[in-house]
Amino acid sequence: MTLSIQNLEKTYFNPYADAHVTVIRDLSLTVERGEFVSVVGPSGCGKTTMLNMIAGFIPRSGGDILLNGKSVSGPGADRGVVFQSFALFPWKTVLDNVGFGLRMKGVPKSERDRIAREYLTLVGLAEAANRYPNELSGGMQQRVGVIRALANEPDVLLMDEPFASVDAQTRMTLQEELTRIWQERRPTVIFITHDVPEAVFLATRVVVLSKGRVLDDIAVDLPQPRVWDRLVHDDRFKTISARVLQQVRLA
Amino acid sequence: MNVALHVWSTYVRLTERWPVIATLVPFLPILALWEILAWAGVFPPAFFPSPGDVVKSFVTLTYKGILPDYLQDSLVRLALGAAIGIVLGIPFGLLIATNKIAHRVFWPILLFFQAIGDIAWLPILLIWFGFGLGTMTFVIVYTVLFPIVLNTVLGVETIPRDLPRAARSLGSSSLSVLWHVILPGALPNILTGLRNGLGYGWRALIAVEIIVGTSGIGFLMFDARRAGSTTEIILGMIILGTLWYIVDAWILAPLEKATGERWGIVTS
Repeated sequence: MTLSIQNLEKTYFNPYADAHVTVIRDLSLTVERGEFVSVVGPSGCGKTTMLNMIAGFIPRSGGDILLNGKSVSGPGADRGVVFQSFALFPWKTVLDNVGFGLRMKGVPKSERDRIAREYLTLVGLAEAANRYPNELSGGMQQRVGVIRALANEPDVLLMDEPFASVDAQTRMTLQEELTRIWQERRPTVIFITHDVPEAVFLATRVVVLSKGRVLDDIAVDLPQPRVWDRLVHDDRFKTISARVLQQVRLA
Repeated sequence: MNVALHVWSTYVRLTERWPVIATLVPFLPILALWEILAWAGVFPPAFFPSPGDVVKSFVTLTYKGILPDYLQDSLVRLALGAAIGIVLGIPFGLLIATNKIAHRVFWPILLFFQAIGDIAWLPILLIWFGFGLGTMTFVIVYTVLFPIVLNTVLGVETIPRDLPRAARSLGSSSLSVLWHVILPGALPNILTGLRNGLGYGWRALIAVEIIVGTSGIGFLMFDARRAGSTTEIILGMIILGTLWYIVDAWILAPLEKATGERWGIVTS
């Protein structure tokens, strides 16, 4: 599995300014199997636009996005997405939300329920299987959002600021859970965030975007599993975070 | 003060146990005023019957079987028209809401025909279909259709953009997105449309029955006018209000509320 972004470009027409605005220009990035790549950058640097193009939600203006050598066009089950808004189906139970991708693949009900329950157990939500999303807290909803994408076994998991709308304590717990799940299952992840410590904590690699280009690409060789209690005192974590932060502020 | 509070709390407790009391109590002053006016003989009894007269007429007409028959006729007509309206309206609304070209083509036409009120169709319909079920069904379908179509479009527009996106990236085809995301997402609004539509349809039906009528509650009232029976006219009016209250408060409103509430969707 390789995701290869080549000279990606995105230009919008802004009717109010009566001008074309370029949000992504000549962006190239390669992500290999099993990598966890955090993408950081200031607001308006084009990180979400890039993710939306990888997901196939919006068309690109130039360049190419290749997944296993095949050019991406439109959304597909090979690219799972975790949304900041959770985007759970309010009219489906938690179990049916998690099993939705499998249902689309034609997996029989008993089998997809079994798999969905397995994933729910993975995030400690086995009890919530028959509840509706609005009956869960934000943190629980996003756990469902993450495993709904994972249960479909995509080639790459695209996460768009997934923990930005939960409270600070829950966020840290979710981050720790995500590193644990990543260690167990080794999915390939592209994680968009503007939170520098979060980016470093989770990733094997941090990419800094600026004005639609890759400004820096920093390897994070911190040992796994990662736990906040330990990492806050870790000198390497501090050094890497400082470097990323410096780049983001330059951007 | 204390007594008033005590009475009020007893009333609240009673209505908790029997909600029908909360429905009936507000009508008591109206009923009392009516009885007093009739009893005082402010108007001649032939113009202004008393509540007792209306109840008597209700019993007689029910006993003769006229009232049940007419009621059934009216309800069947409404149900038939509503069913056709739903079957046409929901897919049409979904098409307009999800397809830009369809939206451009049909939206102006929709607004144009919405402006021609249901009753305004009657003259031409009577020539086309005559005094029969065809005319009545057309008018009801016409009345029910617009609220359903417009609310379906509104419902689809309120679905957050991320939901169809999530479904697509989980492998849904366009058709599955429609079935699993768009339709349930718009359902609370569709039910609101249905509720409004049936309300308009009920009124239109009575109007049509008055003009076209061979049977039905509207016909009953107009026929009573010919015979000069104010009692039966008022009975018809009370039946209209009561029946609609039952349909709306006991069936449509809970249905609309239930879908939205269980899913945590708030309808406007």
